Amino acid sequence: MTKNNSTRWAANLFCMALLALFTAPLALAQDASFRAHLSKMPTTPQTKNAISGGGEVIATLEGHTLTISGHFEGMSSVATMAHVHMGPPAQPGPVVSAITAPDSTGGELSGQIELNDEQLAALKVNSLYVQIHSADNAAGELRGWFFAR
Amino acid sequence: MNIRTTSLAIAIASALIGCTPDNSEQAMNGASDSSVAANAFAEQAAVGAEKFAANCAACHGINLEGSTLGPLLSGRPFMQRWGQRNPSLLFNNIKANMPPGGNEGLSDDDYLAIAAHILSVNGVDTVTTALDPSTDFTIADNASAIASLRNRNEPPAPEGVTVAGNVDDFVPFTPVTDAMLESPDPADWPMIRRSYDAHSYSPLDQIDTSNVANLRLEWVWNMHEGDSEPSPLVYKGIIYLINPGNVIQAIDGKTGELIWENWAGPANRQDMRNIAIYNDKIIQATTDARLVALDARTGKQVWETMVADNSQGFENSSGPIVADGKVILGLAGCARYIKDDCYISAHDANTGELVWRFNTIAKANEPGGDTWGELDDIFRAGGETWITGSYDPELKLTYWGTAQQKPWVPVSRHLTIQDEGLFTNSTVAVNTDDGTLNWHFQHVPAEALDLDEVFERVLVNRGDEKLVFSLGKYGILWKSDRVSGEFKGYKETVFQNAFTDIDPVTGRVTYREDIQNAKLNEWTSACPSSAGGKDWHSMTYHEPSGLMIAPLSQTCLENAAREVALVQGGGGLAASRKFFEMPGTDGNLGKIGAYNVDTMEEVWSYQQRASFHTGTMSTAGDLVFVGDLDRRFKALDVNTGEVVWETRLGTSVQGHPVSFAIDGKQYIAVTSAVGGTSPRTVPDVIATEITYPRWGNALYVFSLPED
Repeated sequence: MTKNNSTRWAANLFCMALLALFTAPLALAQDASFRAHLSKMPTTPQTKNAISGGGEVIATLEGHTLTISGHFEGMSSVATMAHVHMGPPAQPGPVVSAITAPDSTGGELSGQIELNDEQLAALKVNSLYVQIHSADNAAGELRGWFFAR
Repeated sequence: MNIRTTSLAIAIASALIGCTPDNSEQAMNGASDSSVAANAFAEQAAVGAEKFAANCAACHGINLEGSTLGPLLSGRPFMQRWGQRNPSLLFNNIKANMPPGGNEGLSDDDYLAIAAHILSVNGVDTVTTALDPSTDFTIADNASAIASLRNRNEPPAPEGVTVAGNVDDFVPFTPVTDAMLESPDPADWPMIRRSYDAHSYSPLDQIDTSNVANLRLEWVWNMHEGDSEPSPLVYKGIIYLINPGNVIQAIDGKTGELIWENWAGPANRQDMRNIAIYNDKIIQATTDARLVALDARTGKQVWETMVADNSQGFENSSGPIVADGKVILGLAGCARYIKDDCYISAHDANTGELVWRFNTIAKANEPGGDTWGELDDIFRAGGETWITGSYDPELKLTYWGTAQQKPWVPVSRHLTIQDEGLFTNSTVAVNTDDGTLNWHFQHVPAEALDLDEVFERVLVNRGDEKLVFSLGKYGILWKSDRVSGEFKGYKETVFQNAFTDIDPVTGRVTYREDIQNAKLNEWTSACPSSAGGKDWHSMTYHEPSGLMIAPLSQTCLENAAREVALVQGGGGLAASRKFFEMPGTDGNLGKIGAYNVDTMEEVWSYQQRASFHTGTMSTAGDLVFVGDLDRRFKALDVNTGEVVWETRLGTSVQGHPVSFAIDGKQYIAVTSAVGGTSPRTVPDVIATEITYPRWGNALYVFSLPED
C-alpha cells in the first residue's frame, strides 16, 4: 500500500468506525444476507487470457458472525489462498481474514469470520470483498464485493 | 515479428541496397553474418522484435499490421505520422504511452530496441548505430528500400468517384435549405442525431410497441472494412453513408442500390462518425483533417480545404454540422507539444474558406490562460472536440463538448489538481457569427483519469427553460441553462467513486484525495473506466415522455501516470491502465438508463452482460433502439425499458441507428461495425466470453411487412 493509500484508508477507517458506533446496535439486531459476484482482477489486452474465471459467494450475517459459502471456476491456475478484504467498492484494502479454497482452478469456498464493529460497519456499506489468489496470479485472480441481497 | 523474420527483413533490405551498382559485390554475396554483427542498429532491432512480440503484438499485430485494439505501425500511415520526426521522439512517445496496461518490466533499453524494430520494419536501413534516447535523425530520410518496395507492391488506392451515378435518376434532388435543417421533414434524418437539438428522435410512429415484433430485414449492404461508428444521413429516400477510409456512398434507401461512391482519401481503416448535407453538397471531414465537399447528386468533388496539418498529428474522427450557413467542425489529435492547439472552426459552405476559429486551449496571455500553471503555451495540450456539436438557431449558439487536458494525469503534464486548464472538459457555447465564446461550464477541471466530457450536447426546452444536457465518461448527467450556462442539476447514472463531493448548487466536483495527489507510477483505482460511464454513443431525448435515454457502460480502471518530458514535439497520453468489472453490477457491462429531465430521477434501467455499442434512438412509436457487442439489435419500450423486439446481426452492432420514411413507409437502419476505441477495448478484456467476427461492417435496414 502506498503512503497516499494508507492515508486514505486511515480516513476511511475512521469514518467507518464512526458509522459503526451508530449502526452497531442495529446491526446486532438484524441478520442479513450478502452476495459477491466474483470476476477477474484488473486486466489488460496483454493479460486478459492469463486472468480468468468467475464465481459467486453468499455471506450470511448472524450478530457479528459472517458465514461464507460460494463457488468459483475457470481460473488460469490453481487457487493458493482466499481472503476477505476490507475496502470500498473498487478500492483495494487490507485482509480481514482467510477463508478456505481448494487447491484447484475451481471449487467451493467456505469460511466463518467474527467481525469486529469496524468490519461490521464496512460490510454494511459494501466495503468487504472476497479475493482469490492463484499460482500464476499471486496478487489475485478473482475478486468480488459483498452487496446486500 | 520474431528474430527470424527481422533477420529476413534485414537480409531483404541489404539485398535491395545491394541491387545498386555500387554494391554489386555485396548483392552477389548477400548480407554476410559479419556485416549484420557489425550493425548495432540491426542487433538492437532484433532484440526489439522479441520485446515487441511480448509487449506490443497483442494489440498492434505481430507484423505491425494493427488490429481492433491498436493501430497499424507500418507503411504509409506510419511514415505520414513519423517520417519527419526523429527516433528520440518515437522512443519517448512509446515509453510514455505503451503498453497501456503497464510498463513495469520494460527498461529504456527495451523501449529503444522496440523503436529500432519499428523503424527497421518500416525500412530504416541506412543506420548502423544503435539508437539512444537522444538519437536525432529524420526517420524518412533514412528509410529507402523496404518502404519503397512496400509502396510499389501496394495497388494504388482509389481516388475520387469510383462508382458513377446520379441521385436524380432515383429521386429528383432538391437542395437542402437552412429551413429544412431547422425543421427536418419527419421522413428525413439529415444530420447526425437528426436535428440541431441532437435529440436522436424520429417523429415517425408507423412502427410502434404493438407491431415492432413483426419487424423484418428489408436489405443489407456490406461496407468497407475498418474502424467504424457511422451515423448515416437520409434525405428524400437517399442514404448517404460514411465508410471507413473516408469513403462515402449514396444508396437508394428503398432498394439498397448503390448510386455513387467517392474516395476522398486517405485510404485507410480509420473511423469517421458522420457527414453533413447542405444545399446541393455532401460535406465530409477526413481523417487527415481536411474538409471536402461533394456534389450530392453525383459524388464529384466541389471543393476541398485543409482544416489542420495532419503531419503535426491533427486529425478528425467526427464530421461537421452546417449551422447558420457555415460548416462547423471540431479537431482531434491535439496531444502533442507543438505550437498549434485544438480548435473549433467554421468554414464557408460554398467555398470551404475559413470564417472563424475558437481555440479550446487558453494561451498564457488570453482569458483563462492563468489556469495552466506556469506551463509555456507549447506544452498546453488536449481540449479535442472529437464529437460533433449541436446548435440553437434562435440563440445562434453552437454547443460543443471539449476533451480533457493531455497527458491524462496532472503529474504527467507537470501541473497540479489546482490547474484547471481552460477550456478543457467543458461545455462551450460559441457564437456562430464570429466564433466568440458566449459562456462555458467546466464539468471536471484538471481532469485526472482520462474521463472526458466531450460528448453530444442535447438541447431541451421545458416550459420557459432552455436547457442543455450532457453525459460524459464519469457517468454524470449534467443539466445547465443554455442561455446563461448556469448549472441546473446533475444525476449519477452509474456508480462513480472518483469524486467525494459534487456541489448541488454549483456543480463543482471534488476528486478523491488519492486521485488529487496521484504520483508517477502510482496505481489509482476508480470507476467508471475510460470506456465511460457514457462514451461516443449518443443518447436520445424522447420529448413525449420527457425522458433522456442513455447508453451506459459499467466498468472500472486502475490508472498509473507515466513521466512525460517537456520536449517540443513530445507529449502524449502517458498512463498505464488496467480494467475490471464495476462492483455491484453482477457483471452487467451494458446499461440503458432513462432519466426524467425535470426531476433528474432514474425512471427505469435495463442492464445486460454485453456492452452497448450504438447510440440510442427513440421514435414517436414509443420505442428506443440500441445495439450491442453481442450482435444484438434491440427495441425497448420507451416507457418501461422492456425489450419488445430483438434480432442478431453479422457482427457487433455499432454506430447510430436512424429512422426514415419513403413513400409513407417507415424504415429503421443500423450499422454493424468493428473498432470503436475504449468502449470496445475495455469489454474485450473483461467480457472475453463474448465472441464476434472481427469484420463485417454493414448497413442493415428493417421495416414492417406490407399487408
